[in-house]
Amino acid sequence: MHQKNIKRRLKEIGIPILFFICFLIVWELSVIFLKFPEYILPQPTKILNEIITNLGKFLMHTGITMSEAIIGYLIANLLGFLVAVIFVHYRTIEKGFYPYAIALKTTPIIAMAPLLILWFGTGIASKIVASAIVCFFPILVNTIKGLRSVDDDSLDLFKSYSASKWQIFTKLSLPTALPYIFSALKISTGLAVVGAIVGEFVGANKGIGYIILVSTYHLQTVTMFAGIIMSALIGVLFFWIISLIEKKFVFWQGSKNGF
Amino acid sequence: MNKIIRVWGLSKYYGKLQVLDNIIFDVSEGEFISIIGPSGCGKTTLLKILGGLINATKGETTIRDNPAGLALKRRDIGFVFQNPNLLPWRNTIKNVELPLEIINKKDSSLNNPKKLLKIVGLDKFEKAYPKELSGGMQQRVAIARALTFEPLILLMDEPFGALDEITRNKMNLELLRIWKEEKTTISTVIFVTHSIPEAVFLSDRVIVLSKRPAKIEKIVNIDLPRPRKTDMKHSKKYVGYIECIRKILKED
Repeated sequence: MHQKNIKRRLKEIGIPILFFICFLIVWELSVIFLKFPEYILPQPTKILNEIITNLGKFLMHTGITMSEAIIGYLIANLLGFLVAVIFVHYRTIEKGFYPYAIALKTTPIIAMAPLLILWFGTGIASKIVASAIVCFFPILVNTIKGLRSVDDDSLDLFKSYSASKWQIFTKLSLPTALPYIFSALKISTGLAVVGAIVGEFVGANKGIGYIILVSTYHLQTVTMFAGIIMSALIGVLFFWIISLIEKKFVFWQGSKNGF
Repeated sequence: MNKIIRVWGLSKYYGKLQVLDNIIFDVSEGEFISIIGPSGCGKTTLLKILGGLINATKGETTIRDNPAGLALKRRDIGFVFQNPNLLPWRNTIKNVELPLEIINKKDSSLNNPKKLLKIVGLDKFEKAYPKELSGGMQQRVAIARALTFEPLILLMDEPFGALDEITRNKMNLELLRIWKEEKTTISTVIFVTHSIPEAVFLSDRVIVLSKRPAKIEKIVNIDLPRPRKTDMKHSKKYVGYIECIRKILKED
């Protein structure tokens, strides 16, 4: 039984990796034989070489982008959660603010980015804010939906124990909402990185977004690809960590989406 | 006998919709009462009013001479709902401990969760999560959880309605055993059901309700010896009670 599980896991991980390696080989060979110029499509081996020889530089910039994304993510999710709790308990406040929350959500972050640079400067603050703005809505919407998904029967049960509001919140509403909350936490890992990189595109002198932008100016496509790969890795790593935490906290079911 | 529950002139409206109409009855300490009626007639509403979860529009409900809401606060009442309502993130023993956690009480000999699990026959499933248990087992956990609360009165809302017939019959016997033979705080049981045989088999008296707005059609005394046994179901008297209640419900 156990061995069978390991075999299945190997298959699950092994097959995508195998496909990826095939893809890289086809890419490598087609660049060599079709003679694409390097500034259009560089060879994968060259990109890898670029990352390895300049590992220090790439890690430094990746680290900066990652910090911006994580800080923005944490602020947004904490704030979004608190606002959701307030909205659920005070209907009037929700009615008053919700339309504007939606309006802010529909405004593209790229349209707001120049303003953020103007207000918060070209340092990491503006990127943190950009990240936070895009991460704010998933957690807000999902927490509201999750807290409202408590069924009446369970509520009756708690009322029959004369449970306090706080007890109902911590022992019933919050665990009920957890699958929704984690769904939002996973969605916004990717969004957080997008926010940070958009911020860096508009005005920065550090970070992966900055590396990508500068390499475009100089037609250093190899560096650009390396930057794209690093940004993808940040997103994947971030998503993976949150998924692991989710498995630990929401073991009784998968995540639920409130959208 | 002491009257533990008194219901006087109870009516309930949801907006303009009348659900209950002038319900009057009392329950003696130690009785097993079933409430039966057409589906949607307001049985659950009546039970929730008895338990102090919702208020009646008119009339009075007292439990040990106190208003129902107060009885709830005094923890005289335990509920078992149709849906077992177990919290999926808690294992069996943690689910049973929930009431103790909420009322912030240490367990004693009467409400020890492990002992109660043994009473409902689930002592081997302490660490199992609800999704790993069958419907019947989940309902047993719900009963153990209600007993943890040390109520005098157990209010049960179609607790075995979702179970298959064999499991339901088994649970009926279990329930009678727990009520009569085991050492618990439960003295009186009010049991809502839409199964006539179940009501007759379990109860001392069956309260038959009419269609909505529900009035009391009749209260039928079930004069069968206790302990009730499965082979009793072939007796003339038992079948006669079922026929009698069926007729009352049909005439309606």
